[in-house]
Amino acid sequence: MLASAMPSFTFAATQDIESRFMGASQLLVNHDLSPAVGARIAAFAQASYPNLGDMLDRITETAATRGASRVEDFFDAIPEGELRDFAFWVISAWYTGSSSGDRDATLFTYEEALLYQPTIDMVPIPTFGFSAPNAWGNDLYPLTDLPRF
Amino acid sequence: MTSSSQVIVVGTGVVGSVIAEHCLDAGLEVLMIEAGPRVSRAQIVENYRNLPLGAKPDATASYPPADWAPHPFHGLEHLESTGPNKYDPTYIRYAGGSTWHWAGTSWRLTPEDMQLRSRYGVGRDWAFDYETLDPYYNMTERKLGICGPADPLDQWPRRDRSMPYPMPHLPLSQGERKFTEVMQTKLGLRNVPVAQARNSGMPYDDRPACCANNNCVPVCPVGAKYDAATSLNRLEAKGATILDNSVVYRVETGEGNRIVAVHYYDRDKTSHRVTGEHFVIACNGVETPRLMLMSADDRNPNGIANSSDQVGRNMMDHPQQGYTFTTTEPYWLGAGPVVNSGIMETSQGDFRRDHAAVYFRLNNFARNRDIAKRAMASGKVGRALDEEIRRLTATSLNVVAAFEMLPDPNNRLTLSAQKDWLGLPRPSVYWDVGDYVRRSSVEYSNPLAQRIAEAVGATDFKPASPEKFSTSKHIMGGTIMGNDAATSVVDRHSRTHDHANLYLPGGGAMASTACGNSTITMTAMAFMAAEALVSEAKGA
Amino acid sequence: MTMKTTLAFFALSASMAAAQTFPDDLVERGRYVATASDCVACHTGPEDKPFGGNHRIASPVGDIWATNITPSTTHGIGNYTEQQFSDAVRRGIRADGANLYPAMPYTAFARITDEDMHALYAYFMQGVEPIDEPSQQTALAFPFGLRFSMMGWNLLFADSATHQDDPAKSAEWNRGAYLAEGPGHCSTCHTPRGMLMQEDGGQYLAGAQVGPWFAPNITSDKAGGIGSWRKDEIVAYLATGRAEGKSQAGGSMAEAVSHSFSKLTADDLGAIATYIMDVPAIAGPARFDLGTAGNRTAEFRGIADPDLTDLGAGAQIYSANCAACHGYDGQGTKDQYYPSLFNNSDTAGKGANNFVAAVLNGVNRKTDQGHVFMPPFGTQTNAFNSLDDGEVAALTNYAMNQFGDGVTTVSAEDVATIRAGGPTSNMVKVVQTLIAVGAALVAVVLIATVIVLRRRKRAA
Repeated sequence: MLASAMPSFTFAATQDIESRFMGASQLLVNHDLSPAVGARIAAFAQASYPNLGDMLDRITETAATRGASRVEDFFDAIPEGELRDFAFWVISAWYTGSSSGDRDATLFTYEEALLYQPTIDMVPIPTFGFSAPNAWGNDLYPLTDLPRF
Repeated sequence: MTSSSQVIVVGTGVVGSVIAEHCLDAGLEVLMIEAGPRVSRAQIVENYRNLPLGAKPDATASYPPADWAPHPFHGLEHLESTGPNKYDPTYIRYAGGSTWHWAGTSWRLTPEDMQLRSRYGVGRDWAFDYETLDPYYNMTERKLGICGPADPLDQWPRRDRSMPYPMPHLPLSQGERKFTEVMQTKLGLRNVPVAQARNSGMPYDDRPACCANNNCVPVCPVGAKYDAATSLNRLEAKGATILDNSVVYRVETGEGNRIVAVHYYDRDKTSHRVTGEHFVIACNGVETPRLMLMSADDRNPNGIANSSDQVGRNMMDHPQQGYTFTTTEPYWLGAGPVVNSGIMETSQGDFRRDHAAVYFRLNNFARNRDIAKRAMASGKVGRALDEEIRRLTATSLNVVAAFEMLPDPNNRLTLSAQKDWLGLPRPSVYWDVGDYVRRSSVEYSNPLAQRIAEAVGATDFKPASPEKFSTSKHIMGGTIMGNDAATSVVDRHSRTHDHANLYLPGGGAMASTACGNSTITMTAMAFMAAEALVSEAKGA
Repeated sequence: MTMKTTLAFFALSASMAAAQTFPDDLVERGRYVATASDCVACHTGPEDKPFGGNHRIASPVGDIWATNITPSTTHGIGNYTEQQFSDAVRRGIRADGANLYPAMPYTAFARITDEDMHALYAYFMQGVEPIDEPSQQTALAFPFGLRFSMMGWNLLFADSATHQDDPAKSAEWNRGAYLAEGPGHCSTCHTPRGMLMQEDGGQYLAGAQVGPWFAPNITSDKAGGIGSWRKDEIVAYLATGRAEGKSQAGGSMAEAVSHSFSKLTADDLGAIATYIMDVPAIAGPARFDLGTAGNRTAEFRGIADPDLTDLGAGAQIYSANCAACHGYDGQGTKDQYYPSLFNNSDTAGKGANNFVAAVLNGVNRKTDQGHVFMPPFGTQTNAFNSLDDGEVAALTNYAMNQFGDGVTTVSAEDVATIRAGGPTSNMVKVVQTLIAVGAALVAVVLIATVIVLRRRKRAA
């Protein structure tokens, strides 16, 4: 009985950490985030941060204390040190799609890395077509017109 | 298992493929032998996407080498570099060769580029003049599908073309247009559209048009760029046999010092011998001289084709120095092909008596991956981070100075004491870009680059160090061409002076580098070699 | 003009053909009729030899080779009188009296008016360069190799009436009806065929499999047909091969757009649209506005040896081979030049066949708007990648699931069928078996049937 109960317990725990990770991520990044990519980052974070659950809760609580739902409204309240570094790491993982800038880092996503979205009106994500043949280069959007994503 | 063929072509890159097709069209029997694997474009595209961000700028990272066909690759020291500079060409040993990850840039040489000795008293003259090469350039432009400008002022070299480009040039991105305008108005320099082997606005050669996905290097995900891999199925349909994963390690001579066979290892390290009548070794400018040296025998104790002692010497490249500027106004590079315009007129002039010429290439790589580190380190979050990414991507430019280099016998490829997976000696290259290039960097290129930077409103120009040059992977010189058998390896048809039925076409035969990328010239010379081979075969 | 004098006139004009010069405007009119009839699509093999024949048409009963219809007197139709030409085009009877196979859409061309027929003759005699080279001969399996077997078929199914305007409809509608039913021969592909390969009149334009491609329902049904399309969308589709967010032409429709529709006047395209929009609705499953953007890349991205679900395997094939143009979310490019795969009729229902056919054969469409080209993924020399049947099936099932109706699936065997050129008719087997059982008996029954049906037809 115990043996068969174990996997479902682990599964539930994974589910739980994934949803807590997504919750904290949605506070740190003001964009639509893919749960499938989030699960990949969360799995990596679980292996790298023994106190992952605790840090996620502290980020969520910090935002709640401020009544904040956007990162700008509570990020300064995240204490410098381990927790601030972790928060930056989470943001960086979503933006770069990689666990670090090293060439042997783990890749979580390429096409959904947020790095490409602020310029998606002007610049293709490499390997993905941008326009009809020879129809690019005509449009010029102002620097201030940040695409929505 | 094929054990003989009329024509044997070792290497399936652009040079080998063009010669093979020419021979097939003439009705000859052709066997092609490729050291590396035959991999689908789809696989390479996914390899690239699967790389972590930090590995994506490395053009070879998407091409892990096979054990038996090692090539320069991160973490694998296939090629030993000695001397004052680092020699690090990024060629790959896959069916289709290094055109897999070339940018497609197709500058022709100028007549002056081929007469450095007689005009400027440096380097070597070619065995023939520009007019001789011109028809073969035309053939190359049609075979590879090269698009280029119709406006004579935008064409390179600036002389009447004997045939138009088969396709119009590709449009410039916003940043390229602005750069072109600023160079013209502030410096009087003409930034011209790059002639390139890429389908422009239309399908060509049964391949689709470019869709601006900005990934020519390391791989065109749609096959709009010519690479030799796009021709291999067609060659087979015309009757070619292609052996992949077959590493030729010895060229065997016979009576009259003619070549009678090549020997290759399969991936199980079993050796095979294949006989033939005509031999083409087109393995690139490193692997070809390496194979010549490895094949030394009693008749040719210094290596095949090496009675002149020039095999492996005169190794050349286009040493590069890159400049990254940040501007205040947005430029917006990144839409379209990764290299799409450049300044060629700085590559000509009497100054070549004193120092190297230089070509300034405006890279059009999407800037996001390069500015990522700076943006993430800014400490910004939320909208401020998004705005920082947008600003840095739009306002950073990367300009590369590509130098010509002189043939110097001391820049030499030899066989290393280190062995590869098959037990074959690794190539070793002594590398010194030379004072000719260093002087250019200090006296010519850096000052020009600074003027370019100031013209675009850069706030952070830093001159390049005269000690640091990166490698272009334009491998030239190691089997140098000339009319004199005492001082050169191959004749004007890329045929070896020592062996009547052995051709060593490709960059190795080039007698000068000029500044423009070498592929189109290598291919034009391949057509010359193919014509000679076919006429010899037909005459026999 | 009596029948006798008409024939005499035709004979006379034919004998004069060599000496006679048709007026340029008549030749030009004939060129337009030939364009509207898309003669070039079937009768041209190598591109540099227009109308020279040597074009293979895969039919359910075997390969049919379209013939040389240039005015070559040695290998073409240069010796045809105008009457013989008319009989071939409108009745399916060659100059030597033998029957044509209905791969030649003479049942539709029968609608062509005498005036247009005369112009067409003038064009083929004078506006087309003769090519003195033979075309491949058609050799079908027994008994279809016996061309006279078509005589009974013609008695049963061919209607020889030329187009007559319906006074209850507008001039535009009537022009559209003429073009669509006659020269345009829409029903040849879009109307399903019965047991004996005849068009099923009760299912007019309700959609049919033609070789590897499915010619879809183009009746006015809102869900299954094109009843939801605006007139300008139909016109744009005919002119360019594409209706944004709905559908794009591949296979023989791409040829029809390239060679025929894109070269017709805007008025004629409008007329065809007006008529098509009025074709009685025949219901079918929804095929537009289905599917959403999305991807499964998290299953494999950055993982050396991923443990893939079936859909994940299809998603990986999609990513590697298709996403560069159609987007990682199937969204296409922003300008939709490379179309999205959701809101696309090729990812729903019978569209799956077209999805498979497009993957295996690519798409090739050339109009004044440019040359649309998708590389093939079969075994062609220019194949982007040669996907096997299982890979194409996995890819198709992923696309149907992610971008399409969410229910349609195909098997590797289905893909193999389309790769082989489409389903073959069981008519070959049925008829050969019947003959084995008793040719005489069958003949008797067939003749009796013909007589009965023919009487009924006349009575009706």
